Amino acid sequence: MEITKLSFAFRHRRLFHDLSLRVGAGELVHIAGPNGAGKSTFLATVAGLLTPGAGTVAYHGSHGPIQDRRDALEYLPAEANGLYLKMGATQNLQFWSRLRGLNLSPPEIWTALTPWNLNHPLLRDGFAVEKFSTGMKRRLALARLQLSPAIGWLLDEPVYGLDAEAMTIFTTMLAQHLAKGGFALMVSHDLLPFAGLITKTVVIGSKSGTAGAA
Amino acid sequence: MITAEDRRELYLGAILLAMVVGHWLAAFYYAPVDEHQGEVYRIMFLHVPSAITAFASSAALAVFSVLGLKQRSEGSLALAKATAEVGLLFTVLTLATGSIWGRPTWGTWWTWDARLTTTFLLALLYCGYLLLYAAMPAGPSRIRACAVLGILIFADVPIIYKSVTWWRTLHQPPSMLRAGGSTMEPEILWTLVLGMVILCLYGAWLIRFRSRNIRLADTLEAASFDQLQT
Amino acid sequence: MMNSPFWRHYRTLVSQGIQAELADLERLVSPVLFALTTLLLFAFAIGDVEPALRVHIYLAETFLTALFALQINFSRLFEPDRQDRVFDLMRTYPVDHTAWFLAKYTLVLAMGSATLGPTLAFAAFVNQSPSQPLFSWVVVGVAAMALAGLAALGVLLSAMTLKANARQILYPLLYFPLATPVLLAAVQSSQLYLSSGQITADVRAWLGLLLGFDVIYITLGALLFTELVDES
Repeated sequence: MEITKLSFAFRHRRLFHDLSLRVGAGELVHIAGPNGAGKSTFLATVAGLLTPGAGTVAYHGSHGPIQDRRDALEYLPAEANGLYLKMGATQNLQFWSRLRGLNLSPPEIWTALTPWNLNHPLLRDGFAVEKFSTGMKRRLALARLQLSPAIGWLLDEPVYGLDAEAMTIFTTMLAQHLAKGGFALMVSHDLLPFAGLITKTVVIGSKSGTAGAA
Repeated sequence: MITAEDRRELYLGAILLAMVVGHWLAAFYYAPVDEHQGEVYRIMFLHVPSAITAFASSAALAVFSVLGLKQRSEGSLALAKATAEVGLLFTVLTLATGSIWGRPTWGTWWTWDARLTTTFLLALLYCGYLLLYAAMPAGPSRIRACAVLGILIFADVPIIYKSVTWWRTLHQPPSMLRAGGSTMEPEILWTLVLGMVILCLYGAWLIRFRSRNIRLADTLEAASFDQLQT
Repeated sequence: MMNSPFWRHYRTLVSQGIQAELADLERLVSPVLFALTTLLLFAFAIGDVEPALRVHIYLAETFLTALFALQINFSRLFEPDRQDRVFDLMRTYPVDHTAWFLAKYTLVLAMGSATLGPTLAFAAFVNQSPSQPLFSWVVVGVAAMALAGLAALGVLLSAMTLKANARQILYPLLYFPLATPVLLAAVQSSQLYLSSGQITADVRAWLGLLLGFDVIYITLGALLFTELVDES
């Protein structure tokens, strides 16, 4: 994926300017910077939620550049999981995966829920997600991520609120994703578990916003 | 500190205002007395141009809204918001002058005449626009939402007018507010047309001036926010 | 063709929407209860009506109640999507935006019909008299035509006000002025029909206006909705 000279300003306040970055297969890019610097805004712009003031984001598949990069990208927001709160876990996952063209049966979904300790008969169906704890909701969102055929992951504080066990599972999942040729851009205050996987660091701060290899 | 640009802008505004006042003088002294209504009818010279300007504002609002959707810029939103404010001003003026005209002429402060009713609805719609602007935090979402509303307002006004006209003609004889009627003396007609043109120009100037004002307030707010950061 | 991404998205979104409604039945029941309450309020406020005015009053209060109750349906359309940033996540998914609009429009038509049906039935029921049976399929047809246009407007306004504060009062303030032609056309055409017993030229004229409103707003709805959710 190629990000060229991306700029975003919010009401005269420049969050990032002329930011360029190239991400290839197997790469994990860490988006770093102080609080409020614009890291989440950067991810949201790449995900297609915000229009940049200038610059382009292009995704090149194995057959050339693709028109709609949202086919290849899966976004995970910070502090929200994009789950229909009144519906059950299985229903949620079925819905989101169907939007990506996957027709999964409930047993297949349950298999995906297992590593996250969510495959309990009383939890997975007919149990409104709003009754889940924060950690459980996050794990459900990560299960959705795992099911997604998207090659690029845009992760905003993915492990916030997770216990140690879930964090380990996520790290393994991330490593597998990268090994299969996927890539990820990640904002995370917790760096220790991912130290070995990070290939690049981009700093978004008050002064500069240019890519630097780590 | 007033910049040269501001000075030019204010001169232009002063000139236009002078033209508006000049037109009122013409309305009082140049235009002849109406045979049916006497002197009171002269309020039409403010009422009708106000109405024209109010409705022209809705067209301007649509233009700036489409621009807003294409450019997604704060500038287009500022222009649109200014247009809504100016439009509201002129709709209220139209309703007030209509009321003042109606009382001595037909004995009522208000009538469900098609044009007045549509103007009233337009005033409500302008208010709605300003409310939407105030209810949303600044940003791209607001630009888009307000732009869509601007287009919806412009699209609905003709439909509203048509429906209200049919509504009134089915139950009453045609509009009592004959703005001069079909037989208008040339002096009256020309004074009226002149009034429409001048008031529209003045409205346009007001929109431009106000939109720059809005942008300035935005910049100030952003600058003060930056002060907090450093 | 039916398996193209467009229709796949449409079907998924519609079935999801229906499931969301069934999962939270309050969303379907409240507007109906509100409509019945409003009809009752009208009955108390208006009281007995002389026979000559009865039809007009019945139609006025029926369509007014429908307008108010439908407003509840419309303004709450995106409520499930507002929670947990579902709406934002949807925008990052490769969903065809016109399919999205069509799906929401279909859902709102379904919800609106579920509200309109009982409203029309109850209004006719409580306003009936031996001399003037008030139920008429023409009135139902007019209501359906009104719903078609209002639903498009409803979806659009719902998406617009998603991120606005004071949505509960802002929504009706925007919706009611824009919907006045529909109210006029619905009441006038129905009244002319019921008092004359046939579809006169005047009735057809009003229905034409209603149809025009529908066409304009469905088109604008589809076009402008994509503008609202697109990234660029």
